[in-house]
Amino acid sequence: MQNTIKVERAILSLTQDDLAKKIGVSRQTINSIEANRYVPSTVLALKLSKVFNKPVNDFFKLSDND
Amino acid sequence: MNTKKIIECERTKIEKWSQFQLSNRWKTIGTVLCLVTFLTMIGLKFTEAEPLWLKDILRKVLLVGLLIIILSKEKMEDEMIVSLRAKSFTLAFIIGVLYALIQPVVDYVIHNFLYEASENNGFSYFQVLSFMLLIQMMFFEVLKRNR
Repeated sequence: MQNTIKVERAILSLTQDDLAKKIGVSRQTINSIEANRYVPSTVLALKLSKVFNKPVNDFFKLSDND
Repeated sequence: MNTKKIIECERTKIEKWSQFQLSNRWKTIGTVLCLVTFLTMIGLKFTEAEPLWLKDILRKVLLVGLLIIILSKEKMEDEMIVSLRAKSFTLAFIIGVLYALIQPVVDYVIHNFLYEASENNGFSYFQVLSFMLLIQMMFFEVLKRNR
């Protein structure tokens, strides 16, 4: 799974900490998601979708090995 | 109550119990309990009298302390922490079982081939449980640090 959360966050001028607070997780969790070390749950993906005001498919993409 | 309702009831109860956790302040209580018990155990080693009943109680208190620590929530508890905790529980369980299988063999080899044969080369429930609990804590901390 690949994502463009870092880009979406930059568009909204949000820091990792700001985004973490908005969706109720730790800054380290945002960092892990951005680094593709952790795949978030559907609930978290939908919370991100709400913050970015975009569908989940716009910033989460399946990679070849998924 | 029909079968479907019984299954639903069982599932709800299991899910409810599997999510059981203590609040973050219990981590401090568990740590203090473990430290005090551990220091008492070391202190008793230097005294002449080390009653078996006291040793047994201290071992149980230490296990309860470790259990309190691993059941306590983190300051910032999110879904990634839950996932890391689950991973560490899995690893601790597998390593614990392997330890229980391998340790008596290693103990037997050491006591009977390297040193003189000893009758007292069994291992206790305390050894296995404390090993599993410590391994879980260790893996959880490592995974948390490297997330």
